[in-house]
Amino acid sequence: MNKEEDKSGQVTMFIIVGVIIIALAVLIYAFYPQIKSTLGFESKNPSEFIQSCLEDEIKNTVGELSLRGGSLEPDFYYLYNNEKVEYLCYTNEDYKTCVMQQPMLKEHIEEEIENQISGKATECFNSMKESYANRGYAVNLRTGKMKVELLPKKVVANFDYSMTLTKGSAENYEKFRVVLNNNLYELVSIATSILNWEAHYGDAETTTYMNYYHDLKVEKLKQSDGTKIYILSDRDSKDKFQFATRSVAWPAGFGG
Amino acid sequence: MFILVIIFIGLINFISAPGETSYCCERLTKNDDARGAPGAWCQNAPEKQCHANYRKVPTSCEATSYCKLGTCYNSNEGTCMENTPQKVCELNKGIWKEGAPDSIPQCQLGCCLIGEQAAFVTLTRCRSLAGVYGLEINYRTDIQSEVECIMSASPDVKGACVIDNGIERTCKFATKKECQDIRGSPAPGESTGGFFGGLFGGGDQESQGSLETNIEFHEGFLCSDENLSTNCARTKKTTCVEGRDEVYFVDSCGNLANIYDASKVNDPNYWKEIYSKAESCSLSDQPQLSPTDDAITGYTIVQSREKCGNCDYYSGSTCKSAKSGDNPTYGNNICKDLGCEYEGHKYRHGETWCADSRGKSEIIVNESGEIQNSEFNPEQENIPGSRYFRMVCYNNEISVEPCAEFRNEVCIESEVGKGTDKFKTAACRVNMWQDCVAQDNKDDCVNTDKRDCQWIDSGEKDNGDTDRRENKVCVPKYAPGFNFWEEGTDAESLCGLASTTCQVKYEKKLGDSWECVDNCECLKKGTGQGAKGGWETDKINLCKSLGDCGWKDNYLGNDGFNKQFDGLTGKSWTK
Repeated sequence: MNKEEDKSGQVTMFIIVGVIIIALAVLIYAFYPQIKSTLGFESKNPSEFIQSCLEDEIKNTVGELSLRGGSLEPDFYYLYNNEKVEYLCYTNEDYKTCVMQQPMLKEHIEEEIENQISGKATECFNSMKESYANRGYAVNLRTGKMKVELLPKKVVANFDYSMTLTKGSAENYEKFRVVLNNNLYELVSIATSILNWEAHYGDAETTTYMNYYHDLKVEKLKQSDGTKIYILSDRDSKDKFQFATRSVAWPAGFGG
Repeated sequence: MFILVIIFIGLINFISAPGETSYCCERLTKNDDARGAPGAWCQNAPEKQCHANYRKVPTSCEATSYCKLGTCYNSNEGTCMENTPQKVCELNKGIWKEGAPDSIPQCQLGCCLIGEQAAFVTLTRCRSLAGVYGLEINYRTDIQSEVECIMSASPDVKGACVIDNGIERTCKFATKKECQDIRGSPAPGESTGGFFGGLFGGGDQESQGSLETNIEFHEGFLCSDENLSTNCARTKKTTCVEGRDEVYFVDSCGNLANIYDASKVNDPNYWKEIYSKAESCSLSDQPQLSPTDDAITGYTIVQSREKCGNCDYYSGSTCKSAKSGDNPTYGNNICKDLGCEYEGHKYRHGETWCADSRGKSEIIVNESGEIQNSEFNPEQENIPGSRYFRMVCYNNEISVEPCAEFRNEVCIESEVGKGTDKFKTAACRVNMWQDCVAQDNKDDCVNTDKRDCQWIDSGEKDNGDTDRRENKVCVPKYAPGFNFWEEGTDAESLCGLASTTCQVKYEKKLGDSWECVDNCECLKKGTGQGAKGGWETDKINLCKSLGDCGWKDNYLGNDGFNKQFDGLTGKSWTK
């Protein structure tokens, strides 16, 4: 009788232990990334760490300013589909060509991205420093300048930072680079050309650009006050850049 | 009608000479808040619209130093932006120069040849692009048009770069330079003639060798050429190439071969040398056609897209991965038709046409550039709310481009070709209605180079001369729209040009009868369709032709504010 009781007790124990093991396995599976990060055994090298930490921030920033004519908070805009679309060339008068409002568009966008991601970049470098320190490294991080560049098919954030990791031997990492694949450079170049046409002739022909650039879609939407919304998009990547102009506007009647 | 012209001229003068002094505002306000967030730079506007924190002077911006317009030169990118105020340019770290880009040396354009690409840009821009792509430039100032520049871009001649390391003899399809770069520049005294150099002879083949690896370049040949004896063989696989339209065969080493032609999949000659686009198969628009061989050239002249990969973007096809329903004879890529379908109609890639929107006129231009149709119905065309739209078919997608609001632009359409080769083009162009009423003779009125007007019956006394100003009047051909629902617009005064009163005088005759003795033509009823020729009808047509005037249904078919005017019964359409 006692032996039978012992046996059933053992079975119960086995079942309990089995349930605990399964529960632990489920928990580890569910929270693996956090555990991995906390325990500090991530395999990422410093460049990968910064890339994965900042990429989404750059992507969101680029996405937002692309819909707003190149500025995150435009001073002067047309509200189109609830989006503040910046006027890049504008005249308040009828029948006249527009006055350029943003002549250095590429540089302006680079500056906007720089300003927006600088906080997050500092956060990322600090987080990386902490992560390596937790893993027993002596970390020496020297900060420097940050520069964002729009390049063909990509947006690049260059960090003139350097980092030395020492744990026995020393490893030195210099100049970090975060790359986002995006066609903003190409779209901004087209926008620049359209703006010159708007300033010179008061209008731009969309099909000319689509003939030259096969994956490009150019839409021109004239609004009732004479504003034009240009939407440039890449048919493959779906990257988009939109901006507003008002040039050689025709009023209702004589505009009196 | 003379009075009408005088009123019209007075109206224009009134509009063009507003009472308020115009200022050059360095920056405008937003929402008339002079101390709030600033608006646009350098605008001529009333003083109250100028921002308080920025400069303003009671003159035109062109006369000021800070808002003078010129060209803003970007020395990094080499771009020139015109119509830029000095202040805005310098604030953005650009270099401001007076005048248009044509007059500025740094903004002069030339042909920038980089690799296989060409761009018509400034020299600085060319250098900037070359730096970005890491390529050398060839900048030609003798080419002075964009088309000529793009046509002059010629790809470097490619060929088979054979690499023999003693164990394996493989090949890469590359340019001569790329082939040289595989091993670096040949060392002095190094052999320049390999085994295959001797075999083929001539200047097309060169080789650089060392004891370990022998590299030969065979210009104009493919890696799959059997005579090269490489491990690259012909396959039935195809691929699309970025920046090119055609479907290409690939060999077993992954190198590009000639344009896909199903009839030549096993033809050793087609896998030997490079065939130009013109020498390759021709793509038919009709997939049902079977291949036909040209007896003279030997080339297949017409093939279906399942069998021929010679796609052409401008003709409406480009290389894409085959989807379900596409059945290329070989490979997984096909020339995709870039045309569109809209309301049961098929349109070719690049076609543009005027949308069939409500209440607009159909304006067709013939081959000599003249508008075919001249009769428009003011009851149903160019009515309140109607607008012209242009439709654009590119890359399987249709986009809608609205022409300017208030019918300040109309959509014109023309067609070239016949049958299945028909191709439509359309454009939104300015509706030149503004000075119609000021024209006092038919020749000036219907001069389509200067204006869009029509010469219609005025309803006044008919003294036999139909072209006299008393009988006819010049009105817009495509009635413009007005924002008549807003306060303070000129809609009322413009429509008022057509207001008229005709006092008819009767005399009582013997008995109880009355006889009309003066202005009796105002009682005259028109005959035929639209009661043409009647005073009342003529006046109504005149009124409606001026714009959104008179009693009209809107573009949705809804009534206007008032009932239809009947001059003879005295019912008025005024409020």
